[in-house]
Amino acid sequence: MPNVVRAAAVSLSGIRKNFGPLEVLHGVSLTAHEGDVVSILGSSGSGKSTLLRCVNMLEVPNSGNVSIMGEEISLDQRPGRAPRPADPKQVNKLRERAAMVFQSFNLWSHLTILQNVMEAPLHVQGRHRNECRAEAEALLERVGIAAKRNSYPSELSGGQQQRAAIARALAMRPDVLLFDEPTSALDPELVGEVLKVIRDLAAEGRTMLIVTHEMAFARDVSTRTVFLHQGLITEEGPTSEMFANPRSDRFRQFLRRDGASSH
Amino acid sequence: MPFDLTFLWQTFVSLLSGIPLALELAALSVATGSLLAFGLALMRVSRRWWLDLPARFYIFAFRGTPLLVQIYIIYYGLSQFPALRHSFLWPVFREAYWCALAALALNTAAYSAEIMRGGLLSVPAGQIEAARACGMARILLFRRIIVPQATRQMLPGYSNEVILMVKSTSLASTITIMEITGIAAKLISESYRPVEVFISAGAIYLSLNFIVARLFALLEWSLWPERRKNRLQSNIVEKKGELHA
Repeated sequence: MPNVVRAAAVSLSGIRKNFGPLEVLHGVSLTAHEGDVVSILGSSGSGKSTLLRCVNMLEVPNSGNVSIMGEEISLDQRPGRAPRPADPKQVNKLRERAAMVFQSFNLWSHLTILQNVMEAPLHVQGRHRNECRAEAEALLERVGIAAKRNSYPSELSGGQQQRAAIARALAMRPDVLLFDEPTSALDPELVGEVLKVIRDLAAEGRTMLIVTHEMAFARDVSTRTVFLHQGLITEEGPTSEMFANPRSDRFRQFLRRDGASSH
Repeated sequence: MPFDLTFLWQTFVSLLSGIPLALELAALSVATGSLLAFGLALMRVSRRWWLDLPARFYIFAFRGTPLLVQIYIIYYGLSQFPALRHSFLWPVFREAYWCALAALALNTAAYSAEIMRGGLLSVPAGQIEAARACGMARILLFRRIIVPQATRQMLPGYSNEVILMVKSTSLASTITIMEITGIAAKLISESYRPVEVFISAGAIYLSLNFIVARLFALLEWSLWPERRKNRLQSNIVEKKGELHA
């Protein structure tokens, strides 16, 4: 790898998050540089989805900082009350730069696929309608569902819906893509088509954070891997090293268990 | 003669003259009631107790008491208060028409608020989250994602409410309003032939509500493009099935 200093695209430091009395993240720090594809692994309940949702403030950390593309999100974390962003406008601006793809797709059911993809560029970013339409159509072409542009989400298979959701995320021209278990709600035979799209995005050098259970995919696609256990990062590093030589017992166990279940 | 067709026809024609007033009461009360209901529904879903509680109490009071009692309280009851009699509102509440309209509107607001609340809550949380994750501000999200879905979700329930309101205008006759039922009562007292009169009145309400129901069906049809499409497709599939059978 050429020895250049790349800017931090996403930087989390000392993230703590609790739901009521239960603390699910105990001070997690994580940096994704531009061009990094970071896999966030861990068993269920490890806090990996919560961590990802702290990046775009769908969950607001009780303490710790989040920066996106060098801009720190200002938070109101006074004790004794629910944490919240100090400036909702700033959060909305940063959410345009860090688009999210959800486990359950969450396409807007009253809009066609094309309208879903055009919605944010048109109404949030205020871009020109013709430009939005052309770009949306190109994106749908790219994820292979251009023929479905005038269908409604309920008419599509899960795999097609998730590809539409990826197009919707890309339509905002984000700097970072956040994937929250993008294939967990899919039938096994539909997983491949979605992973292929994500793989292509990784190959373009896009910055992505991916929470996933697909170990083989994480190993192939991600440049870095973070392993979360009970709200703490147990191990992290370049993906190839981590999978070849897991240092912690926890991650070794995790890999073994996954190996056992997939064969 | 037990059943007089000529009289039935004459009655029917004279009752028709009550339609404009009945429709006016229904339309104005539904229109103002729905605005009030929208505010109440927003208060109910605000998750702020000091907004939620007054709305809850309002709905409890107006759903829990008969409309007829509400009409009587407003028409007969309010005049007991000298403060109101001497206020600028008196010219309004002195008139039976405005009292009926106020009672109908306040009443439908309570029911409609709950229908709207149901619609608002029916929008899947994931879709709201996706909108937030796209950087949508609250008002934009409400306008672009929540309202369109909530509206079509609540239409069946709301059409019921509007039909009830058309029928409820008949209660205005109890405070001297000469709409369809008011005219009917007068005709009965003159002719002592309740059967023909009430059959005519019933037929008129039935036709009005038939139109209301069709209008709502049309609105629902226009707001559910994907359901419309699916139904067309399933019809085609069924027809094909018949051909093969």
